[in-house]
Amino acid sequence: MIALSRPVLARRPDWATLPVLIGAAIVGAWIIVALTIHWWSPYDPVQLVGRRLMPPSAEHWLGTDALGRDVLSRTLYGVRHSLPIAALVVAVAVLIGFLLGAGAGFVGGILDAVVMRLVDVTLSFPPILLAMAVTASLGPGLRNAAIAMVIVWWPVYARLMRAQVLAMRGREHVDAAVTSGARPARVLFTHILPLCWSPIIVNASMDFGQIVLLVASLSFIGLGAVPPTPEWGQMISEGALHFYHWWIAAGPGIAILTIVLGFNFLGDALRDILDPRSR
Amino acid sequence: MKPSLRAGYRRWLGALALAGTAVASGPVAAQDQQPLVIARLLEINSLDPHRAFCDTCQIYLTATYQGLVALGADNRSIEPLLATSWEINPDQTEFTFHLAEDAVFADGSPVEAKDVKWSFERLKNIQGSPSFMMSGVAAIETPDEHTVVVKMDAPNSEFLGILTAPYTIVVNSDVAAEAGARAGADAVSADTAEAWFLSHSAGSGPYVLDTYRVDDELRFKRNENFWGEAPPIAEIVIDHTADAVSQAQMLQSGAADIAMQIDPATAETIDSDEVVIETVPSFNFIYVAFSPGAEANRVPLTLEVRQALAFALDYDGIIEFTVGGEGNPQASPIPNGFPGTTDLPMPVEDLDKARQMLADAGLADGFDLDVVVASLNVYGVDLPLLMQKIQQDLARVNVTTHIQPVASSVWREQIVKPGIPFTARFYAPDYYGSAQYVYFFGMIEDAYWLTNASGGQPESLINPREGELLEQALATADEAKREAIYHEIALQMIADRIIVPVVSPNLVLAYRNNVAGVRYSACCNLPLAELSLK
Amino acid sequence: MARYIVRRLVAMPLLLLGVVTIAFLLSHFTQADPLTSIVGERQMNNQAVVEAARKRWGLDRSLPEQYLVYVGNLLTGDLGISFRTKQPVAYDLKLRLPATLELVVAAMLIGTAAGVALGVVAARFHDRPSDHAARLFALVGASTPVFWSGLILLYVFSVQLGWLPGPGRIDARGAAPPFVTGMYTLDSLIAGDFATFRSALSHLVLPACVLGWTMIGIVSRMVRASMLDVLGQEYVLTARAKGASELRVLLNHALRNALIPALTIIGFSFAYLITGAILTETIFAWPGVGSYAVAAARELDHPAIIGVTIVGGAAFLLANLLTDIAYALVDPRVRVGGARGS
Repeated sequence: MIALSRPVLARRPDWATLPVLIGAAIVGAWIIVALTIHWWSPYDPVQLVGRRLMPPSAEHWLGTDALGRDVLSRTLYGVRHSLPIAALVVAVAVLIGFLLGAGAGFVGGILDAVVMRLVDVTLSFPPILLAMAVTASLGPGLRNAAIAMVIVWWPVYARLMRAQVLAMRGREHVDAAVTSGARPARVLFTHILPLCWSPIIVNASMDFGQIVLLVASLSFIGLGAVPPTPEWGQMISEGALHFYHWWIAAGPGIAILTIVLGFNFLGDALRDILDPRSR
Repeated sequence: MKPSLRAGYRRWLGALALAGTAVASGPVAAQDQQPLVIARLLEINSLDPHRAFCDTCQIYLTATYQGLVALGADNRSIEPLLATSWEINPDQTEFTFHLAEDAVFADGSPVEAKDVKWSFERLKNIQGSPSFMMSGVAAIETPDEHTVVVKMDAPNSEFLGILTAPYTIVVNSDVAAEAGARAGADAVSADTAEAWFLSHSAGSGPYVLDTYRVDDELRFKRNENFWGEAPPIAEIVIDHTADAVSQAQMLQSGAADIAMQIDPATAETIDSDEVVIETVPSFNFIYVAFSPGAEANRVPLTLEVRQALAFALDYDGIIEFTVGGEGNPQASPIPNGFPGTTDLPMPVEDLDKARQMLADAGLADGFDLDVVVASLNVYGVDLPLLMQKIQQDLARVNVTTHIQPVASSVWREQIVKPGIPFTARFYAPDYYGSAQYVYFFGMIEDAYWLTNASGGQPESLINPREGELLEQALATADEAKREAIYHEIALQMIADRIIVPVVSPNLVLAYRNNVAGVRYSACCNLPLAELSLK
Repeated sequence: MARYIVRRLVAMPLLLLGVVTIAFLLSHFTQADPLTSIVGERQMNNQAVVEAARKRWGLDRSLPEQYLVYVGNLLTGDLGISFRTKQPVAYDLKLRLPATLELVVAAMLIGTAAGVALGVVAARFHDRPSDHAARLFALVGASTPVFWSGLILLYVFSVQLGWLPGPGRIDARGAAPPFVTGMYTLDSLIAGDFATFRSALSHLVLPACVLGWTMIGIVSRMVRASMLDVLGQEYVLTARAKGASELRVLLNHALRNALIPALTIIGFSFAYLITGAILTETIFAWPGVGSYAVAAARELDHPAIIGVTIVGGAAFLLANLLTDIAYALVDPRVRVGGARGS
């Protein structure tokens, strides 16, 4: 979902709403699948385990794909690519955005100007076009897709962080720390940053779903995961080639839908809580 | 086709959907079947006859241009076209053609010897993909307006065959030159006509180019000045339809009349009695190739190792799996049915032998093999998917393959340098004749695969016997003798074990039952001028 | 306010130059020699051909030189020649932009109409089942990959039911209407050709719905929130008390006032639609800029990649600018910051 980046701190946090619970349940279920699938997966996700293009049956609940691999197993294993990538991208983007944004906001001057112009320019690209251009240059593969995602996402956090730091700088306890002769880095890390986290967390929770979706999109158009990786977008593009055999794309489609929906539920609910105006 | 329950269900729902069709365009009735629509992937690299090199290009060039000679419907015999007669000297080094005096280009100007000379020279000098067809041409003489003499450096018994290829057609040189086309030795840099050819055809064929829109459509209209018999259909559109399922869908709904790339699995899902489906063997094939000279090799890909891996492939399984059994095995890089391919030994799967040979080479525990393959779906075969099947086959002899699918252009670069240890690729003929395969796949001097597979050190893989045999074949006028020589070359190429063909996919010709004249041509794919409506 | 707008306008060309530079650099530090996209398979080991191509396409010059030439050409509207189509990129884009625009505008109309309707319903039945259903529907739309929902709709409505045509912009049997705007639905109406109009419209329905669904969420959410605001206000209560019909209250009093903030959000949805259009065009074989970009990225057609990125960036910048200005006008407290609008 779209982030207007104007979170207002909650007056009465009411975390246990239905959407939060649903979102947490879906995301939690997928995390459990990711952690445990190797113990209970019906089949190996890359081995040929049946005839090709078999419709759903008792042995293969979601049928087999064009190669005779079990679609259900591949779908479940797919979360092992999507979730860690989303987590990694968010983590790295936050880290880069955090360092550059906070640095720019705190130091100001030339650093601020350079970083913020870079942020402005990067944010001038439609995300998918920038990601496509990056992966076209780097070559396909999930690692390169992840790099592209980071390049797309870090400026959001840099800008957010800078705004937070600027807002904090005028506060009394910060001024007090500065006048008492504390080193700038110390002021930054002990007096400013601890107070900047909440908008970052809200934003990150909402970006998770978007990153899953964009990675799958890149794979779908052939710029992300490479076969035989059981990646959802890649599986749907294989399914599109055989779309009379609808079950090939059904599993990964539902997987993307549920996981993104889960994150959107969480993100939406968080925003409702933190921004009562849109309630 | 198998009848399906779904059809009845669909019709029932369709009847309910009358309201829906008020907005939707319903199936088109047969009487407005003009223009004729062909659903096919438009994978055009160029419409410049001397730069083009693609299957759709074959269809396009055959419809809008004409060569000196044509390939007969039997896919073997050579028939007159712009040349009414010809003579060949006994050495196979001099070819004399007499042009039809009434032949005219689409703009009404006569087809003359100078056009032939100009076209052949441009084909050679522009150094495009099909330029190899003119290699060996020493001189072209035009004693009068209707006579052309082509002189060769060396005997070339296949030259007449080459002239049936769609790229050796005759271009209206005056018109093309005005648009910036150049035929001289500096054509490679001086010629500026490629973009012009995207909106203009300049030939004497039954059709002319009406419009071409990338990723959208290629539209032909009848050549009103055609000097032969006018084609039955006035307007033909090739509608860009990327995948087999959409093509099948268009065919069934009547939105298209002919679909050209329906794979056998999709063909089975077509359940309309208005659609005719013919499955014919094709001359296209998919092969895997070893490059012992590739930098990424972790163990030497010696002949023994290559043979062992070839024994480890499940050929029947590959055919079943890539094209649902609708394909044929192929012995050598010369396609089934071409000169010299009768009774060649087909590749066999023999796991014990494969393991034994690997053990003898000290590789009983297997090794790692890097595979780079272009992300392409050709002739119904998805190359990365094929490689995943082969990955499973090779795992049985402990060989671990690492597949990396890449863009086609990346593949083209990597195969030259640093080389690709193991890959899969495809080939389709441009005319009937076996020498083209030896030039490309043979371990002879300057052959594409010798250069690439050897990593730029041809002496490591060259097979001198193949070169000698090819020379003999090219100097032999007698067809039967030639076939025997090509047979021997094919055996040599099998023994090289650089190229291992895995499947020759059948071609599915699918069209609505009121269309006549749909056939597969070895040089030209689908001859549009032969199409008609019943 | 005026200063804010002027500052944004001045920044535009600089941002564009940044976009051009990044797009250019990205395409020159690349996995494969761009030559491989130009030179045929058989010529790659022919040194003479490779050199000639290098020279012809200007690849023999140094990177800064190439950059200056590129920027210079760009100022005259020249985006270079596409490796894949062999035509000027600017020409390709001119042919394809109307197709994308037609799709995006149709999707915006559908998405806005549905979003407003859902938002009104959700606000009117606040916290009741219809509210939750409307929010769920919108959320599912924003969570479904368009390349999957597109497949499903194609399978159901085109393959199984046969109500709507398959991929493409128009029946292949018909010809495109004479070029005026390049949007087939408009052009066929201008030409008075209703058969073509019907064909173009029926081809537009599915992809526009798929794409429109993705933006329903944003719009309905905004409409719902501002409707809730408005519905609680005095004049609405007064109107109700005076006995105005419920529908009249909703549409005349509440919606009219709630729409102003909602309209600004539509600009934001542009980012969504660009992302969605690229994928939707791929599924529906829609010959627009999106499918052009995908083909270019797949085949490493660098001039086309740079061109699309620049044009997309310019459109994106413009949309963001307009939205920001509109937003600032409506709600001066807000300075819209760096949201990744997708």
